[in-house]
Amino acid sequence: MDNTVVISTPPHVKSKRTTRGIMADVCIALLPAAIAGIVYFGVMAFVTEIVSVAACVLTEFVYYFIANGGFGKKCKNAGAVCKKWFKQFDLTSVVTGLILALIVPVSVKWYEVLVGAILCIALVKMFFGGTGKNLVNPAAAGRVIMFISFAVSMTAYVAPQFKPVMDDSAVFTGATNLSGFLLTGAGNTVNPLDLFLGTGVAGCIGETCKLAIIIGYLYLCIKKVIKWWQPVLFIAVFGFFAVLLSGFKAEHYTFDFSLFLPHILSGGVMFAAVFMFTDYVTSPKGVIGQLVYYIGGAILLALLRYFTQLEVASFVIMIMNILVPLIDRYCIRKPFGYVKPPKAAKKEGK
Amino acid sequence: MKAVKGKYFFGGIHPHDCKDLAKSSPLEVMPAPEVVAISTLQSLGKPAVPVVEVGSPVKIGQLIARADGPISSDVFASVSGTVEEIRDSAGANGGPEQFILIRNNHREETAYLPPLSDPSADEIKARIKDAGIVGLGGAGFPAAVKLSPKTPVDTLILNGAECEPYLTCDYRLMLEKTDEIARGARYIAKALGVNNIIIGIEANKPDCIEKFEKYDDIKVVILKKKYPMGGEKQLVYVTTGRKIGLPPKLPADSGVVVQNVATAFAVCEAVENGKPLFERVVTVSGKAVENTKNIVVRLGTKLEDVVNYCGGEKTSPKKVIQGGPMTGLALMNYEAYTHKTTSGILLMTADEAAAEEPTPCLNCGKCADVCPMHLMPMNTAFYAGAGDFGAAAKYGNTLSCIECGACEYICPAKRPLIQAIRRTKAEMRKAGGKK
Repeated sequence: MDNTVVISTPPHVKSKRTTRGIMADVCIALLPAAIAGIVYFGVMAFVTEIVSVAACVLTEFVYYFIANGGFGKKCKNAGAVCKKWFKQFDLTSVVTGLILALIVPVSVKWYEVLVGAILCIALVKMFFGGTGKNLVNPAAAGRVIMFISFAVSMTAYVAPQFKPVMDDSAVFTGATNLSGFLLTGAGNTVNPLDLFLGTGVAGCIGETCKLAIIIGYLYLCIKKVIKWWQPVLFIAVFGFFAVLLSGFKAEHYTFDFSLFLPHILSGGVMFAAVFMFTDYVTSPKGVIGQLVYYIGGAILLALLRYFTQLEVASFVIMIMNILVPLIDRYCIRKPFGYVKPPKAAKKEGK
Repeated sequence: MKAVKGKYFFGGIHPHDCKDLAKSSPLEVMPAPEVVAISTLQSLGKPAVPVVEVGSPVKIGQLIARADGPISSDVFASVSGTVEEIRDSAGANGGPEQFILIRNNHREETAYLPPLSDPSADEIKARIKDAGIVGLGGAGFPAAVKLSPKTPVDTLILNGAECEPYLTCDYRLMLEKTDEIARGARYIAKALGVNNIIIGIEANKPDCIEKFEKYDDIKVVILKKKYPMGGEKQLVYVTTGRKIGLPPKLPADSGVVVQNVATAFAVCEAVENGKPLFERVVTVSGKAVENTKNIVVRLGTKLEDVVNYCGGEKTSPKKVIQGGPMTGLALMNYEAYTHKTTSGILLMTADEAAAEEPTPCLNCGKCADVCPMHLMPMNTAFYAGAGDFGAAAKYGNTLSCIECGACEYICPAKRPLIQAIRRTKAEMRKAGGKK
């Protein structure tokens, strides 16, 4: 035996799963949506995706480089810091960049995406300590920043044209299926199949084709990255409440469950449920906490959508993210074999 | 009896079991080494007190250290010869231990206890105590203590799960010494005054299940292959549906007593042949050892001798482990000696053994999902990392942890969770135990 044996606490065998592997799986799961976005919205969607991913990764690198003293001592450590960065690079910023690109409409200019990507990684992720330390989902926060900063292009939803270069004339603002007829109570006029495939429906790059999202969802479930029931629970609760609220809106108080499908297929609900609510870092850890989180998020989203008639999934995600530490604190599981102490004994104890 | 399927418990992991490495090697007796160094700390609790002096002659099976208090076990010479030295030195885990060194004279003189024929319950209890038998599964709780429960007991459960990867010592024992294990179990049952004997065997050992099915008085329960199926609380739950309360509750409080199959075998030997516990089956496995073996090793054999007997190293190991890979002790060299609880010696290569640098916690919650005790290990690690051990114990329910290692196995960020849990437990003990 030479001197290379490793001493550690048990266990001495560990699963081959790493953070990087999980994030690579998430990237793969996002690919169908990304490709569908390019097919639907042309080359500009591709540009948005590339700019967003590159900006996220570069921002992370630059921040890491500065924070680890890459510029110190006349850049002597630069090489070592770069090496260290590559070693710890876990693809989380790629996931953030990709998600951010997929939840903006294609009408957004590339420099607007650049600003959003840089700010979301720097302000939301790296300032809080990098991977695993961010309080809110960086992609959701990035979208909110862009939504407020570039309100015009962020609300100019475009219907897919299946052409490499889009016609500008097709751009129309604020008239997605959401803010149009559905919430005004006029009923749904779009065929659910069209909503499902995203044909003829205005929307964001990655959120339009629900089929691609479902393929990604199945992949994540098979790879056990997310629990299958989490998005299902979220979407079901959301759909139910959205139908209830539509019933109130229509003022005849009949709850038309044929609106269930149009509700859950409109806008970014499915994308948010599969890829954004399930983000590990910003969701509760225990099963009880997760139930609270998904049900609470779904109800909040239904309410906010009803009142604002806007694409508010990212705001809801941020609100729920901020509540997560609180949820975690109060949702502690009871250990296996725990018996509730009898009340009489409790009083004696006091 | 016909085998039945066990219940399901939430949590647990499915590590690659690697049992094929040593599964097919039959039991083999390793010749007694030149020198043995027998630790006086062979069980949970207090170390035994030496009763021999330097220079005194000893025979195989002779008492060399007497149990100190109820939670302690007698220690017996494993070779015949003379006591060369009684020395205090660090044990394999770094704690202080006392070793009795005996030089072998190769005469194999024995000083066994008288064999018992048709013993009464009290005789069996006394014999198990006198033979220094401890739980051979890994924790090393003195077996005699478990046989005098304070609450009424109606079931004896034999633990044949062997859910630890790599280890095959119990498997070989169940296959080759089926009758002895069954008889040993009957002796234990008689000592306890129970009629109900259950043996739990994991589904990956169908040959053992078949062998135990032929006894009419033993109920065989097939356990799903899952780690930690052989954990006491999990085993009791899947075989009987009873839940054991949180510590300090014992299985006996739920009316069951759990013993390992190797313990049952040792009981049979002690009762029928008067043989005290001075040897045990050890699995030598891993991809870095030349020949993987299941060998009967004398107590206090140096690990170097064991490894050399198995043909030495094939390649340079990355980790050397005493015990199983999930709960065993990583050693820094072969200067360690086998104990009553040493179930395996594993030489792992770099691609088998985990030695990755931890990365930041992702909060993925996988540790909580796999925890068989339904705890929140990430909370423990988080607060322990910040130095707040009270909060760590409170929000992670750490004091109920059985340290099975499932959480750390599954962790994608390779966080040292067990280390945080042990530290928290130690700090809480220091602070007075209570939350």
